[in-house]
Amino acid sequence: MKVTASSTARRKDAAAKVVFAASAAFSVFAVFAIVFYIIYESIPALSEIGVFNFIFGTLWAPTKEFLGVSERFGILPMIVGTLCVSAGALLIGGVAGVFSAICLKAFCPKKLKGPIIGMINFLAGIPSIVYGFFGLTVLVPALMKISDTGSGKGILASSLILGMMILPTVTSMTKDALDAVPGSYHEGALALGATPQQAMFKVTVPAAKSGIVTGLVLGLGRAVGETMAVMMVAGNVPDFPTGLFSNIRTLTINMVAEMGYAEGLHRQALIATGSVLLVIVLALNFGIGIARRPKKDRGGRSRSVKTSEHAASASAPVFRKSGKGCTALKYFSIVCVVAVAAALASLIIFILVKGLPNISIEFLFGESGNAGMTLRPAFVTTGMLIVIALAIALPIGICAAIFLAEYSKRNSRLVRVIRLFTETLSGLPSIIFGFFGMLLFCELMGMQYSVLAGGITLSLMILPTIIRSTEESLLSVDNALREASLALGAGKLRTVFRVVLPSALSGIVTAVILSIGRIVGESAALIYTAGAVSYTPQSVMDPGSSFAVMMWLFAGEGMYMDYAYATAAVLLIVVALINLAVVLVKKKLSVKAFGTSGSRAARGKADRTKETK
Amino acid sequence: MKEKTQTVFDFSGDVAVEISGLDLYYGTFHALKNINTRMMRNKITALIGPSGCGKSTLLKTLNRMNDLVDGCRVEGTVKVGGTDIYDRRTDVAVLRKSVGMVFQRPNPFPMSIYDNISYGPRTFGVKKKGELGEIVERSLKAANLWDELKDQLHKSALALSGGQQQRLCIARALAIKPEILLMDEPTSALDPISTGKIEELCESLKEELTVVIVTHNMQQAARISDDTAFFLLGELIESGPTEKIFSSPEKEQTLNYISGRFG
Repeated sequence: MKVTASSTARRKDAAAKVVFAASAAFSVFAVFAIVFYIIYESIPALSEIGVFNFIFGTLWAPTKEFLGVSERFGILPMIVGTLCVSAGALLIGGVAGVFSAICLKAFCPKKLKGPIIGMINFLAGIPSIVYGFFGLTVLVPALMKISDTGSGKGILASSLILGMMILPTVTSMTKDALDAVPGSYHEGALALGATPQQAMFKVTVPAAKSGIVTGLVLGLGRAVGETMAVMMVAGNVPDFPTGLFSNIRTLTINMVAEMGYAEGLHRQALIATGSVLLVIVLALNFGIGIARRPKKDRGGRSRSVKTSEHAASASAPVFRKSGKGCTALKYFSIVCVVAVAAALASLIIFILVKGLPNISIEFLFGESGNAGMTLRPAFVTTGMLIVIALAIALPIGICAAIFLAEYSKRNSRLVRVIRLFTETLSGLPSIIFGFFGMLLFCELMGMQYSVLAGGITLSLMILPTIIRSTEESLLSVDNALREASLALGAGKLRTVFRVVLPSALSGIVTAVILSIGRIVGESAALIYTAGAVSYTPQSVMDPGSSFAVMMWLFAGEGMYMDYAYATAAVLLIVVALINLAVVLVKKKLSVKAFGTSGSRAARGKADRTKETK
Repeated sequence: MKEKTQTVFDFSGDVAVEISGLDLYYGTFHALKNINTRMMRNKITALIGPSGCGKSTLLKTLNRMNDLVDGCRVEGTVKVGGTDIYDRRTDVAVLRKSVGMVFQRPNPFPMSIYDNISYGPRTFGVKKKGELGEIVERSLKAANLWDELKDQLHKSALALSGGQQQRLCIARALAIKPEILLMDEPTSALDPISTGKIEELCESLKEELTVVIVTHNMQQAARISDDTAFFLLGELIESGPTEKIFSSPEKEQTLNYISGRFG
């Protein structure tokens, strides 16, 4: 056997490391590019209007000389509107989310855990346009009956819909935080005579506080940046809110609703609105970064124990059974889960009942144009978008994950910085991606509204998912496999590609499926990059509409409500299939992972024999 | 990068490994202290001692698997086949080709039996099917696995029993024709029958190569090894022919350990 290898292999290793590092740095670069380019494009408006007048101006009147008022660009009402609906969403979705997670962790029968987690994942997968549509067609008419203004739209409707949308984020973060609390805390509390609910609410939940707060802030960020759903239920009037049913406009609505026809200073003012949104979202992300930093022992003020003056003379303390409050909280958490399930069920049933009868072959695949719209453009466009976005994001994401998991020290500063930026990227609102894509790809690079521009924009959005999912599964690969390969004289590169990556396949496949789900349901990022047209694109340079954008067109036209229901039903079915696929992939591929079935049994047996020695 | 000179190991002499003045640190922890010893060709050398005494660490210095540990620092010389393996110019890949390793826990790749064994040869540029097939057969035969597995070469290696997996790992190491085989407590995760098979295997392997085995099991060391080295707290207390170490050790600590007074 001839011994080749050595220097060429080593040079290849070094070159590969550079590629991996560059890919990992890409998300840092992307965040900077987005932030600086949008702020840069806002400078003309901000200098013309004045930063103070823009942010604290109370009047938004973009039309020149209308009813005797000259154009004014003040976004304070929208900032207030955004904060109001986000706070409302946090109050509803945040509370329900946290308590759902608590119920899931502590008070739900084992058999129901799987279905409840599935339900939360399903909620997370539903596209925002579907939520908005559900709000518009079910919630708003219902609220109209109790409204004092005669309109069902406004703060309450927006808060409810946004609350439902942020709930999955809050629930999954809370659940992770609760799972991370050592079980011994719970046992310790029980051993002191606490009831399970007392142990949960007095010990476990406080121990998980920082993770729960992080989840709430993430949810808040999502609510602040949400566009399409809130646009359909907020009422879109740029006034200060005065009550639960006042019609308001958020920053995101302002960006989307007027971009289509704005020109000159008006257009620049909309981009500047994006900057303000971006700053708010970044501030929230920054807050999370601080909250997550491992706390140093602050020393803390030593609190003296208050002792009653009569302590000595008082009789021994009386111990009595307490915990009614905790029991009440327990039932509240169960109520939350039931409410979430009811909301989801009503959404699904309503959409399917209204939508399924309208699905036909003609509707799905018929010729679409100005005369009659069908879903055919959506199939073609979405397919193109998926291919383009994955072709870009998958290699970069996998290489970045390889760098993070295989080439850097775990939890080194570099890894943490890259992870922070990746999370920031995933926390940016879709409309920000949409504006960035519009400004950079469509205009500066001259792609105009095209499927290509939309696909590139989407690739930035799905990148964090791919990096995170791949990295997680790489880290879960048993180190023994790496050692085995290296001990056989294989280089790092060969070890990574031949041994580690194949073992991490399930994470990569999961990432691809989740990305497809995101692309199918995306609308805000596409309207001003891929365009919103009703005809089928002939090439990637043509504009085209994905499923969600088609649905937006249907719903917006008013005449096509049946089609909108049908598209919503199609989207729900896609979400269900995607969730199912993720579950199947995890089941199928994880069996292939190292140390399962036979060898696990063998190892278990071996451990036992070792113990008895 | 500077072109490295080809690393060559010469195993024609009697001494396969020669360690002199070896000190090893993990960060500030002094894990091996001034080790001087030799391992003879075509012999089985057993490294014994209580947990944490440095025997596995020493094993891993012989194929530089310690390079993977952060903050690991090596001083002194370790000569394998007459070549200083901690020389800057040493090609680690070639070193590990010549010095194979079997781990405590069987670690087959999640691939077929065939692919597990051909992984090493493929790493070193063997591509032809015929050649690979021969290597697979030879390696499995050498590991006494051929008769058991010849009809299921394309079955997943993970479906094998723990003992078979470990012998497969030995076969996998043998596939690239190492001169030295390092075994890090290879039977500690196995049942007595599988352990017996691996011990038999070691006996037959020494005709072809040099074996260095770390073991917790003193009977095992006494049964299979020619030479034994006893370690305690990072120091080499005593080394020599196994018979002598077990019958009339020079040092009191050795006697205490092998008579089971601690460990």
